[in-house]
Amino acid sequence: MRKIFNFIWVRNRTSLTLLGFLILWQLVVTVFRIREFILPSPLSAILHLFFRQPDANYHWIKNISATLFEILIGFTVTVLLGIMIAVIVSWSQLSRRFFIPLFIFVNSLPIVAIAPIILLWLGYGIYTNVLIAFLVSFFPMVINTTTGLNKVDEDLLDLVRYHRGSKWQVLIKIRFPNSLPYIFSGLKICSTMCVVGVIVGEFVASDKGLGYIIINSQFTLDTPPIFAALIVIAVMGLGLFGLVSLLERIIIPWHGSVNG
Amino acid sequence: MPNTPLISIRGLKKIFTTLTGEKIEALENIALDIYPGEFVSIVGPSGCGKTTLLKILAGLVQKDGGEIKVDKESFDPTREVGFVFQKPLLLDWRKVIDNVLLPIEILKINRASMFGRAQELLELVGLKGFEKAYPNELSGGMQQRVSIARALIHDPKLMLMDEPFGALDALTRERMNLELLRIWREAKKTVLFVTHGIAEAIFLSDRVAVLSARPSTVVTALDIHLSRPRTLNVRTSPEFGKLSMKVYDSLEMV
Ligand SMILES: Nc1ncnc2c1ncn2[C@@H]1O[C@H](COP(=O)(O)OP(=O)(O)O)[C@@H](O)[C@H]1O
Ligand SMILES: [Mg+2]
Repeated sequence: MRKIFNFIWVRNRTSLTLLGFLILWQLVVTVFRIREFILPSPLSAILHLFFRQPDANYHWIKNISATLFEILIGFTVTVLLGIMIAVIVSWSQLSRRFFIPLFIFVNSLPIVAIAPIILLWLGYGIYTNVLIAFLVSFFPMVINTTTGLNKVDEDLLDLVRYHRGSKWQVLIKIRFPNSLPYIFSGLKICSTMCVVGVIVGEFVASDKGLGYIIINSQFTLDTPPIFAALIVIAVMGLGLFGLVSLLERIIIPWHGSVNG
Repeated sequence: MPNTPLISIRGLKKIFTTLTGEKIEALENIALDIYPGEFVSIVGPSGCGKTTLLKILAGLVQKDGGEIKVDKESFDPTREVGFVFQKPLLLDWRKVIDNVLLPIEILKINRASMFGRAQELLELVGLKGFEKAYPNELSGGMQQRVSIARALIHDPKLMLMDEPFGALDALTRERMNLELLRIWREAKKTVLFVTHGIAEAIFLSDRVAVLSARPSTVVTALDIHLSRPRTLNVRTSPEFGKLSMKVYDSLEMV
Protein backbone atom coordinates (compact mmCIF):
# COMPACT_ATOMS: atom_id res chain seq x y z
CA MET A 1 0.00 0.00 0.00
CA ARG A 2 2.75 2.43 0.97
CA LYS A 3 4.60 1.52 -2.19
CA ILE A 4 1.60 2.47 -4.27
CA PHE A 5 1.21 5.71 -2.33
CA ASN A 6 4.87 6.57 -2.89
CA PHE A 7 4.40 5.73 -6.50
CA ILE A 8 1.51 8.16 -6.94
CA TRP A 9 3.61 10.86 -5.31
CA VAL A 10 6.47 10.20 -7.74
CA ARG A 11 3.99 10.29 -10.61
CA ASN A 12 2.65 13.59 -9.32
CA ARG A 13 6.11 15.06 -9.35
CA THR A 14 6.26 14.08 -13.00
CA SER A 15 2.97 15.85 -13.68
CA LEU A 16 4.22 18.90 -11.81
CA THR A 17 7.31 18.99 -14.01
CA LEU A 18 5.07 18.77 -17.05
CA LEU A 19 2.85 21.55 -15.75
CA GLY A 20 5.92 23.71 -15.11
CA PHE A 21 7.04 23.18 -18.66
CA LEU A 22 3.64 24.20 -20.04
CA ILE A 23 3.64 27.39 -17.92
CA LEU A 24 7.13 28.30 -19.15
CA TRP A 25 6.01 27.75 -22.72
CA GLN A 26 2.94 29.94 -22.18
CA LEU A 27 5.12 32.72 -20.73
CA VAL A 28 7.62 32.59 -23.59
CA VAL A 29 4.87 32.86 -26.19
CA THR A 30 3.13 35.72 -24.36
CA VAL A 31 6.22 37.71 -23.47
CA PHE A 32 7.89 37.46 -26.90
CA ARG A 33 4.58 37.74 -28.75
CA ILE A 34 5.34 34.80 -30.96
CA ARG A 35 2.87 34.51 -33.79
CA GLU A 36 0.40 31.69 -33.53
CA PHE A 37 1.28 29.87 -36.76
CA ILE A 38 4.95 29.64 -35.65
CA LEU A 39 4.36 28.57 -32.06
CA PRO A 40 0.92 28.75 -30.49
CA SER A 41 0.65 29.02 -26.74
CA PRO A 42 -0.19 25.74 -24.98
CA LEU A 43 -3.43 27.29 -23.79
CA SER A 44 -4.53 28.05 -27.30
CA ALA A 45 -3.47 24.57 -28.40
CA ILE A 46 -5.36 22.87 -25.61
CA LEU A 47 -8.44 25.06 -26.18
CA HIS A 48 -8.51 23.67 -29.70
CA LEU A 49 -9.30 20.31 -28.19
CA PHE A 50 -12.40 21.57 -26.46
CA PHE A 51 -13.87 24.26 -28.67
CA ARG A 52 -15.06 23.72 -32.16
CA GLN A 53 -13.22 26.07 -34.54
CA PRO A 54 -15.25 28.07 -37.07
CA ASP A 55 -13.09 27.07 -40.05
CA ALA A 56 -12.39 23.40 -39.46
CA ASN A 57 -13.60 20.36 -37.54
CA TYR A 58 -10.91 18.08 -36.23
CA HIS A 59 -13.19 15.41 -34.75
CA TRP A 60 -10.89 15.15 -31.75
CA ILE A 61 -12.76 12.41 -29.98
CA LYS A 62 -12.81 10.20 -33.03
CA ASN A 63 -9.15 10.82 -33.86
CA ILE A 64 -7.84 10.53 -30.33
CA SER A 65 -9.66 7.27 -29.75
CA ALA A 66 -8.40 5.94 -33.09
CA THR A 67 -4.81 6.63 -32.09
CA LEU A 68 -5.28 5.40 -28.54
CA PHE A 69 -6.82 2.19 -29.80
CA GLU A 70 -3.96 1.61 -32.21
CA ILE A 71 -1.40 2.28 -29.51
CA LEU A 72 -3.02 -0.15 -27.11
CA ILE A 73 -3.38 -2.86 -29.75
CA GLY A 74 0.13 -2.23 -31.07
CA PHE A 75 1.59 -2.33 -27.57
CA THR A 76 -0.25 -5.50 -26.58
CA VAL A 77 0.68 -7.28 -29.80
CA THR A 78 4.32 -6.23 -29.51
CA VAL A 79 4.58 -7.30 -25.90
CA LEU A 80 2.97 -10.70 -26.41
CA LEU A 81 4.79 -11.46 -29.65
CA GLY A 82 8.02 -10.03 -28.25
CA ILE A 83 7.94 -12.33 -25.24
CA MET A 84 6.99 -15.34 -27.37
CA ILE A 85 9.79 -14.61 -29.81
CA ALA A 86 12.23 -14.20 -26.92
CA VAL A 87 11.25 -17.60 -25.53
CA ILE A 88 11.83 -19.20 -28.93
CA VAL A 89 15.09 -17.32 -29.43
CA SER A 90 16.47 -18.24 -26.04
CA TRP A 91 15.39 -21.87 -26.23
CA SER A 92 18.64 -22.98 -27.82
CA GLN A 93 22.02 -21.68 -28.87
CA LEU A 94 21.14 -22.50 -32.47
CA SER A 95 17.99 -20.39 -32.58
CA ARG A 96 19.86 -17.53 -30.91
CA ARG A 97 22.50 -17.61 -33.64
CA PHE A 98 19.85 -17.57 -36.32
CA PHE A 99 17.33 -15.06 -35.00
CA ILE A 100 19.37 -12.33 -33.35
CA PRO A 101 21.17 -11.22 -36.55
CA LEU A 102 17.85 -11.30 -38.37
CA PHE A 103 16.30 -9.00 -35.78
CA ILE A 104 19.25 -6.66 -35.87
CA PHE A 105 18.75 -6.46 -39.62
CA VAL A 106 15.02 -5.75 -39.40
CA ASN A 107 15.54 -3.25 -36.61
CA SER A 108 18.08 -1.27 -38.61
CA LEU A 109 15.75 -0.82 -41.60
CA PRO A 110 14.58 2.82 -41.77
CA ILE A 111 10.93 2.50 -40.90
CA VAL A 112 9.87 5.57 -42.86
CA ALA A 113 11.28 3.92 -45.96
CA ILE A 114 9.46 0.62 -45.57
CA ALA A 115 6.20 2.11 -44.34
CA PRO A 116 4.99 2.81 -47.91
CA ILE A 117 5.60 -0.84 -48.80
CA ILE A 118 3.59 -1.98 -45.82
CA LEU A 119 0.86 0.40 -46.90
CA LEU A 120 0.95 -1.17 -50.33
CA TRP A 121 0.54 -4.62 -48.85
CA LEU A 122 -1.95 -4.02 -46.07
CA GLY A 123 -3.73 -0.87 -47.22
CA TYR A 124 -5.06 1.96 -45.05
CA GLY A 125 -6.07 1.13 -41.53
CA ILE A 126 -5.20 -0.33 -38.23
CA TYR A 127 -3.18 -3.33 -39.50
CA THR A 128 -0.62 -1.12 -41.16
CA ASN A 129 -0.19 1.08 -38.12
CA VAL A 130 0.01 -1.79 -35.69
CA LEU A 131 2.60 -3.52 -37.85
CA ILE A 132 4.68 -0.36 -38.04
CA ALA A 133 4.40 0.08 -34.27
CA PHE A 134 5.53 -3.52 -33.89
CA LEU A 135 8.52 -3.10 -36.20
CA VAL A 136 9.61 0.04 -34.39
CA SER A 137 9.31 -1.35 -30.87
CA PHE A 138 9.74 -5.14 -30.88
CA PHE A 139 13.53 -5.06 -30.71
CA PRO A 140 14.01 -3.74 -27.15
CA MET A 141 11.25 -6.09 -26.01
CA VAL A 142 12.87 -9.17 -27.55
CA ILE A 143 16.43 -8.29 -26.54
CA ASN A 144 15.51 -7.45 -22.95
CA THR A 145 13.42 -10.55 -22.47
CA THR A 146 16.04 -12.78 -24.07
CA THR A 147 18.69 -11.33 -21.78
CA GLY A 148 16.51 -11.94 -18.74
CA LEU A 149 15.74 -15.52 -19.77
CA ASN A 150 19.42 -16.30 -20.24
CA LYS A 151 20.93 -14.35 -17.37
CA VAL A 152 20.22 -16.93 -14.71
CA ASP A 153 22.57 -18.13 -12.02
CA GLU A 154 23.39 -21.59 -13.43
CA ASP A 155 23.26 -23.03 -9.92
CA LEU A 156 19.56 -22.15 -9.69
CA LEU A 157 18.88 -24.45 -12.63
CA ASP A 158 20.35 -27.33 -10.60
CA LEU A 159 17.36 -26.97 -8.28
CA VAL A 160 15.09 -28.15 -11.06
CA ARG A 161 17.54 -30.49 -12.74
CA TYR A 162 18.27 -32.69 -9.77
CA HIS A 163 14.59 -33.54 -9.61
CA ARG A 164 14.78 -34.35 -13.33
CA GLY A 165 12.53 -31.38 -14.11
CA SER A 166 11.90 -30.61 -17.77
CA LYS A 167 13.28 -27.76 -19.82
CA TRP A 168 9.76 -26.36 -19.79
CA GLN A 169 9.71 -26.39 -15.97
CA VAL A 170 13.07 -24.62 -15.96
CA LEU A 171 11.50 -21.97 -18.18
CA ILE A 172 8.33 -21.54 -16.14
CA LYS A 173 9.76 -21.84 -12.64
CA ILE A 174 13.14 -20.18 -13.05
CA ARG A 175 13.91 -18.45 -16.33
CA PHE A 176 10.66 -16.57 -16.84
CA PRO A 177 10.29 -15.13 -13.33
CA ASN A 178 13.99 -14.33 -13.41
CA SER A 179 13.43 -12.30 -16.57
CA LEU A 180 10.55 -10.19 -15.21
CA PRO A 181 12.70 -7.19 -14.20
CA TYR A 182 14.24 -7.27 -17.69
CA ILE A 183 10.82 -7.62 -19.28
CA PHE A 184 9.66 -4.53 -17.44
CA SER A 185 12.57 -2.43 -18.58
CA GLY A 186 11.77 -3.67 -22.11
CA LEU A 187 8.13 -2.71 -21.60
CA LYS A 188 9.08 0.81 -20.61
CA ILE A 189 11.13 1.38 -23.74
CA CYS A 190 8.53 -0.38 -25.83
CA SER A 191 5.68 1.73 -24.43
CA THR A 192 7.15 4.99 -25.73
CA MET A 193 8.41 3.55 -29.01
CA CYS A 194 5.01 2.05 -29.75
CA VAL A 195 3.49 5.52 -29.59
CA VAL A 196 6.10 6.77 -32.04
CA GLY A 197 5.40 3.80 -34.34
CA VAL A 198 1.67 4.40 -34.44
CA ILE A 199 2.11 8.11 -35.20
CA VAL A 200 4.61 7.33 -37.96
CA GLY A 201 2.07 4.88 -39.37
CA GLU A 202 -0.61 7.53 -39.34
CA PHE A 203 1.68 9.98 -41.10
CA VAL A 204 2.27 7.62 -43.95
CA ALA A 205 -0.99 5.85 -44.23
CA SER A 206 -4.12 6.91 -42.50
CA ASP A 207 -7.38 8.71 -42.80
CA LYS A 208 -7.75 9.25 -39.09
CA GLY A 209 -5.76 9.59 -35.90
CA LEU A 210 -3.52 12.24 -34.41
CA GLY A 211 -0.76 11.64 -36.94
CA TYR A 212 -3.31 12.28 -39.64
CA ILE A 213 -4.32 15.57 -37.98
CA ILE A 214 -0.71 16.68 -37.85
CA ILE A 215 -0.09 15.97 -41.52
CA ASN A 216 -3.37 17.59 -42.50
CA SER A 217 -2.85 20.74 -40.47
CA GLN A 218 0.61 21.10 -41.89
CA PHE A 219 -0.91 21.63 -45.34
CA THR A 220 -3.19 24.37 -44.10
CA LEU A 221 -0.56 26.01 -41.84
CA ASP A 222 -2.98 25.58 -38.98
CA THR A 223 -0.42 25.21 -36.22
CA PRO A 224 -2.45 25.04 -32.96
CA PRO A 225 -4.03 21.63 -33.71
CA ILE A 226 -0.55 20.23 -34.44
CA PHE A 227 0.55 21.22 -30.97
CA ALA A 228 -2.71 20.06 -29.48
CA ALA A 229 -2.10 16.67 -31.06
CA LEU A 230 1.50 16.63 -29.80
CA ILE A 231 0.34 17.35 -26.26
CA VAL A 232 -2.20 14.53 -26.42
CA ILE A 233 0.45 12.17 -27.82
CA ALA A 234 2.83 13.08 -25.00
CA VAL A 235 0.11 12.47 -22.43
CA MET A 236 -0.64 9.07 -23.97
CA GLY A 237 3.04 8.10 -23.93
CA LEU A 238 3.39 9.19 -20.32
CA GLY A 239 0.19 7.42 -19.38
CA LEU A 240 1.30 4.14 -20.90
CA PHE A 241 4.71 4.43 -19.29
CA GLY A 242 3.06 5.17 -15.95
CA LEU A 243 0.78 2.17 -16.31
CA VAL A 244 3.78 -0.07 -16.94
CA SER A 245 5.60 1.33 -13.91
CA LEU A 246 2.55 0.78 -11.73
CA LEU A 247 2.25 -2.83 -12.91
CA GLU A 248 5.94 -3.28 -12.18
CA ARG A 249 5.45 -2.34 -8.54
CA ILE A 250 2.53 -4.71 -8.23
CA ILE A 251 3.98 -7.68 -10.11
CA ILE A 252 7.59 -7.68 -8.94
CA PRO A 253 7.51 -6.34 -5.38
CA TRP A 254 10.52 -8.55 -4.57
CA HIS A 255 12.67 -6.63 -7.00
CA GLY A 256 14.43 -3.88 -5.08
CA SER A 257 15.72 -1.56 -7.77
CA VAL A 258 12.40 -0.49 -9.21
CA ASN A 259 12.97 2.94 -10.71
CA GLY A 260 10.45 5.57 -11.68
CA MET B 1 23.96 -52.78 9.62
CA PRO B 2 21.97 -53.89 6.54
CA ASN B 3 24.17 -55.63 4.05
CA THR B 4 23.05 -53.96 0.81
CA PRO B 5 24.44 -50.46 0.44
CA LEU B 6 21.96 -47.82 -0.66
CA ILE B 7 24.70 -46.46 -2.86
CA SER B 8 27.94 -48.14 -3.75
CA ILE B 9 30.67 -46.09 -5.39
CA ARG B 10 33.69 -47.69 -7.03
CA GLY B 11 36.60 -46.15 -8.90
CA LEU B 12 34.71 -42.91 -9.44
CA LYS B 13 36.59 -40.47 -11.64
CA LYS B 14 35.96 -36.92 -12.78
CA ILE B 15 38.13 -34.79 -15.02
CA PHE B 16 37.04 -31.22 -15.75
CA THR B 17 38.18 -29.38 -18.84
CA THR B 18 38.44 -25.65 -18.30
CA LEU B 19 37.57 -23.08 -20.98
CA THR B 20 41.26 -22.80 -21.78
CA GLY B 21 41.43 -26.54 -22.43
CA GLU B 22 43.30 -27.33 -19.25
CA LYS B 23 42.43 -30.66 -17.64
CA ILE B 24 41.63 -30.71 -13.94
CA GLU B 25 41.49 -34.14 -12.43
CA ALA B 26 39.14 -33.60 -9.54
CA LEU B 27 38.24 -37.13 -8.48
CA GLU B 28 40.79 -39.80 -9.22
CA ASN B 29 39.41 -42.90 -7.61
CA ILE B 30 36.62 -42.65 -5.09
CA ALA B 31 35.31 -45.76 -3.37
CA LEU B 32 32.58 -45.47 -0.76
CA ASP B 33 29.56 -47.47 0.37
CA ILE B 34 26.64 -45.73 1.99
CA TYR B 35 24.21 -47.96 3.83
CA PRO B 36 20.54 -47.22 4.43
CA GLY B 37 20.03 -45.12 7.52
CA GLU B 38 23.68 -44.23 7.80
CA PHE B 39 25.06 -40.77 8.50
CA VAL B 40 28.30 -40.36 6.57
CA SER B 41 30.40 -37.21 6.55
CA ILE B 42 33.03 -36.23 4.02
CA VAL B 43 35.91 -33.99 4.98
CA GLY B 44 38.81 -32.95 2.81
CA PRO B 45 40.84 -29.97 1.70
CA SER B 46 39.16 -27.18 -0.21
CA GLY B 47 38.91 -27.88 -3.93
CA CYS B 48 39.39 -31.64 -3.58
CA GLY B 49 36.07 -32.45 -5.22
CA LYS B 50 33.56 -32.84 -2.41
CA THR B 51 30.91 -30.77 -4.16
CA THR B 52 31.63 -32.58 -7.41
CA LEU B 53 31.07 -35.93 -5.71
CA LEU B 54 27.65 -34.87 -4.39
CA LYS B 55 26.66 -33.44 -7.75
CA ILE B 56 27.59 -36.64 -9.53
CA LEU B 57 25.43 -38.58 -7.07
CA ALA B 58 22.54 -36.18 -7.73
CA GLY B 59 22.95 -36.57 -11.48
CA LEU B 60 23.99 -32.95 -11.97
CA VAL B 61 27.50 -33.73 -13.20
CA GLN B 62 28.52 -36.58 -15.51
CA LYS B 63 31.16 -38.95 -14.21
CA ASP B 64 34.18 -39.82 -16.32
CA GLY B 65 34.73 -43.32 -15.04
CA GLY B 66 33.91 -45.81 -12.35
CA GLU B 67 30.50 -46.95 -11.26
CA ILE B 68 27.74 -45.95 -8.93
CA LYS B 69 25.39 -48.72 -7.96
CA VAL B 70 22.07 -47.69 -6.48
CA ASP B 71 19.75 -50.04 -4.61
CA LYS B 72 16.80 -49.32 -6.87
CA GLU B 73 14.47 -51.60 -4.91
CA SER B 74 14.42 -49.43 -1.85
CA PHE B 75 15.21 -46.07 -3.33
CA ASP B 76 14.28 -43.98 -6.37
CA PRO B 77 17.21 -41.65 -7.01
CA THR B 78 15.15 -39.34 -9.22
CA ARG B 79 12.54 -38.52 -6.57
CA GLU B 80 14.03 -39.39 -3.22
CA VAL B 81 17.11 -37.22 -3.02
CA GLY B 82 17.19 -33.98 -1.11
CA PHE B 83 20.10 -31.67 -1.91
CA VAL B 84 21.19 -28.84 0.34
CA PHE B 85 23.57 -26.77 -1.73
CA GLN B 86 26.49 -24.77 -0.44
CA LYS B 87 24.65 -21.54 -1.28
CA PRO B 88 21.01 -21.13 -0.21
CA LEU B 89 19.89 -20.73 -3.87
CA LEU B 90 16.49 -19.33 -3.04
CA LEU B 91 14.30 -17.88 -5.75
CA ASP B 92 14.05 -14.14 -5.06
CA TRP B 93 10.56 -13.86 -6.48
CA ARG B 94 9.05 -16.52 -4.26
CA LYS B 95 8.01 -16.07 -0.69
CA VAL B 96 9.72 -18.36 1.82
CA ILE B 97 6.85 -20.87 1.85
CA ASP B 98 6.76 -21.03 -1.94
CA ASN B 99 10.50 -21.62 -2.04
CA VAL B 100 10.05 -24.56 0.30
CA LEU B 101 7.31 -25.94 -1.98
CA LEU B 102 9.39 -25.74 -5.16
CA PRO B 103 10.38 -29.46 -5.26
CA ILE B 104 6.71 -30.37 -4.83
CA GLU B 105 5.86 -28.44 -7.98
CA ILE B 106 8.74 -29.90 -9.95
CA LEU B 107 7.81 -33.43 -8.88
CA LYS B 108 4.16 -32.66 -9.75
CA ILE B 109 2.81 -33.49 -6.33
CA ASN B 110 -0.39 -31.79 -5.17
CA ARG B 111 0.72 -28.50 -3.61
CA ALA B 112 -2.22 -27.98 -1.28
CA SER B 113 -1.62 -31.32 0.40
CA MET B 114 1.95 -30.29 1.29
CA PHE B 115 1.23 -26.83 2.61
CA GLY B 116 0.93 -27.98 6.22
CA ARG B 117 4.13 -29.95 5.94
CA ALA B 118 5.96 -26.92 4.57
CA GLN B 119 4.84 -24.92 7.60
CA GLU B 120 5.98 -27.66 9.96
CA LEU B 121 9.38 -27.78 8.32
CA LEU B 122 9.77 -24.02 8.61
CA GLU B 123 8.94 -24.30 12.28
CA LEU B 124 11.50 -27.07 12.57
CA VAL B 125 14.28 -24.89 11.16
CA GLY B 126 13.21 -22.03 13.44
CA LEU B 127 11.50 -19.86 10.85
CA LYS B 128 7.92 -19.92 12.06
CA GLY B 129 6.28 -16.63 11.12
CA PHE B 130 8.53 -16.01 8.12
CA GLU B 131 6.37 -17.92 5.63
CA LYS B 132 5.35 -14.77 3.77
CA ALA B 133 8.76 -13.07 3.77
CA TYR B 134 10.84 -12.71 0.64
CA PRO B 135 14.37 -14.22 0.67
CA ASN B 136 16.10 -10.84 0.45
CA GLU B 137 14.46 -9.92 3.75
CA LEU B 138 16.30 -12.77 5.53
CA SER B 139 19.84 -13.10 6.82
CA GLY B 140 22.24 -15.56 5.16
CA GLY B 141 21.76 -18.08 7.95
CA MET B 142 17.98 -17.88 7.72
CA GLN B 143 18.15 -18.34 3.96
CA GLN B 144 20.20 -21.49 4.37
CA ARG B 145 17.66 -22.84 6.85
CA VAL B 146 14.90 -22.24 4.29
CA SER B 147 16.94 -24.27 1.83
CA ILE B 148 17.14 -27.12 4.35
CA ALA B 149 13.37 -27.09 4.74
CA ARG B 150 13.10 -27.14 0.96
CA ALA B 151 15.39 -30.17 0.71
CA LEU B 152 13.18 -32.04 3.18
CA ILE B 153 9.76 -31.19 1.77
CA HIS B 154 9.42 -34.23 -0.50
CA ASP B 155 10.55 -36.54 2.30
CA PRO B 156 13.70 -37.79 0.55
CA LYS B 157 15.41 -40.99 1.68
CA LEU B 158 18.87 -39.67 0.90
CA MET B 159 20.04 -36.22 1.93
CA LEU B 160 23.06 -34.77 0.16
CA MET B 161 24.30 -31.82 2.19
CA ASP B 162 27.10 -29.61 0.94
CA GLU B 163 28.54 -27.63 3.85
CA PRO B 164 25.01 -26.61 4.79
CA PHE B 165 25.92 -24.89 8.05
CA GLY B 166 29.10 -23.23 6.86
CA ALA B 167 27.53 -19.78 6.84
CA LEU B 168 25.83 -20.06 10.22
CA ASP B 169 27.10 -18.65 13.50
CA ALA B 170 28.43 -21.18 16.01
CA LEU B 171 25.33 -21.26 18.20
CA THR B 172 22.85 -21.70 15.37
CA ARG B 173 25.14 -24.28 13.89
CA GLU B 174 25.05 -26.38 17.07
CA ARG B 175 21.30 -26.10 17.22
CA MET B 176 21.03 -27.14 13.59
CA ASN B 177 23.34 -30.08 14.24
CA LEU B 178 21.04 -31.35 16.97
CA GLU B 179 17.95 -30.76 14.83
CA LEU B 180 19.55 -32.57 11.92
CA LEU B 181 20.29 -35.59 14.11
CA ARG B 182 16.71 -35.56 15.33
CA ILE B 183 15.31 -35.43 11.79
CA TRP B 184 17.72 -38.12 10.68
CA ARG B 185 16.72 -40.41 13.55
CA GLU B 186 12.99 -39.82 13.40
CA ALA B 187 12.58 -39.81 9.65
CA LYS B 188 15.11 -42.63 9.11
CA LYS B 189 17.06 -40.82 6.47
CA THR B 190 20.42 -41.57 4.98
CA VAL B 191 22.71 -38.56 5.01
CA LEU B 192 25.87 -37.76 3.10
CA PHE B 193 27.22 -34.63 4.71
CA VAL B 194 30.12 -32.52 3.44
CA THR B 195 31.76 -30.25 5.98
CA HIS B 196 34.90 -28.32 6.84
CA GLY B 197 34.40 -28.92 10.52
CA ILE B 198 36.09 -32.05 11.80
CA ALA B 199 34.30 -31.84 15.15
CA GLU B 200 31.00 -31.38 13.37
CA ALA B 201 31.69 -34.42 11.18
CA ILE B 202 32.54 -36.66 14.14
CA PHE B 203 29.67 -35.39 16.24
CA LEU B 204 27.09 -36.12 13.57
CA SER B 205 28.33 -39.22 11.82
CA ASP B 206 28.44 -42.97 11.87
CA ARG B 207 31.39 -42.74 9.55
CA VAL B 208 33.75 -39.99 8.42
CA ALA B 209 35.38 -40.31 5.02
CA VAL B 210 38.54 -38.29 4.55
CA LEU B 211 39.40 -37.22 1.01
CA SER B 212 42.89 -36.38 -0.17
CA ALA B 213 43.78 -33.26 -2.11
CA ARG B 214 43.20 -33.25 -5.87
CA PRO B 215 43.22 -35.69 -7.64
CA SER B 216 41.32 -37.16 -4.74
CA THR B 217 40.79 -40.58 -3.27
CA VAL B 218 39.23 -41.68 0.00
CA VAL B 219 42.18 -41.83 2.40
CA THR B 220 40.31 -43.23 5.38
CA ALA B 221 36.77 -44.01 6.29
CA LEU B 222 36.67 -43.81 10.03
CA ASP B 223 33.89 -45.53 12.01
CA ILE B 224 32.53 -43.36 14.81
CA HIS B 225 31.33 -45.61 17.60
CA LEU B 226 30.07 -42.92 19.94
CA SER B 227 26.76 -43.90 21.48
CA ARG B 228 23.51 -42.33 20.33
CA PRO B 229 21.54 -40.21 20.89
CA ARG B 230 24.41 -37.77 21.24
CA THR B 231 24.42 -34.58 23.21
CA LEU B 232 26.79 -31.68 22.74
CA ASN B 233 28.97 -32.67 25.71
CA VAL B 234 30.11 -35.82 23.93
CA ARG B 235 32.59 -33.47 22.29
CA THR B 236 34.58 -33.19 25.49
CA SER B 237 34.96 -36.95 25.94
CA PRO B 238 38.39 -38.58 25.50
CA GLU B 239 37.13 -40.83 22.69
CA PHE B 240 36.00 -37.78 20.78
CA GLY B 241 39.48 -36.30 21.17
CA LYS B 242 41.10 -39.48 19.90
CA LEU B 243 38.80 -39.60 16.87
CA SER B 244 39.55 -35.97 16.06
CA MET B 245 43.27 -36.69 16.20
CA LYS B 246 42.82 -39.57 13.79
CA VAL B 247 40.96 -37.38 11.31
CA TYR B 248 43.59 -34.65 11.64
CA ASP B 249 46.32 -37.21 11.09
CA SER B 250 44.78 -38.54 7.91
CA LEU B 251 44.28 -34.99 6.63
CA GLU B 252 47.94 -34.25 7.42
CA MET B 253 49.03 -37.27 5.45
CA VAL B 254 47.61 -35.87 2.25
N1 LIG C 1 32.44 -26.97 -13.87
C1 LIG C 1 33.76 -27.02 -13.60
N2 LIG C 1 34.66 -26.76 -14.57
C2 LIG C 1 35.98 -26.82 -14.31
N3 LIG C 1 36.49 -27.11 -13.13
C3 LIG C 1 35.66 -27.38 -12.11
C4 LIG C 1 34.25 -27.34 -12.29
N4 LIG C 1 33.66 -27.66 -11.12
C5 LIG C 1 34.65 -27.86 -10.24
N5 LIG C 1 35.86 -27.72 -10.84
C6 LIG C 1 37.17 -27.91 -10.21
O1 LIG C 1 37.19 -29.17 -9.60
C7 LIG C 1 37.81 -29.10 -8.33
C8 LIG C 1 36.88 -29.63 -7.27
O2 LIG C 1 35.84 -28.70 -7.08
P1 LIG C 1 34.75 -28.87 -5.93
O3 LIG C 1 34.07 -30.18 -6.10
O4 LIG C 1 33.89 -27.68 -5.94
O5 LIG C 1 35.66 -28.89 -4.62
P2 LIG C 1 35.25 -28.79 -3.10
O6 LIG C 1 33.76 -28.80 -3.00
O7 LIG C 1 35.87 -29.99 -2.44
O8 LIG C 1 35.84 -27.54 -2.54
C9 LIG C 1 38.24 -27.68 -8.11
O9 LIG C 1 39.59 -27.55 -8.43
C10 LIG C 1 37.39 -26.91 -9.09
O10 LIG C 1 38.09 -25.77 -9.54
MG1 LIG D 1 32.45 -27.36 -2.29
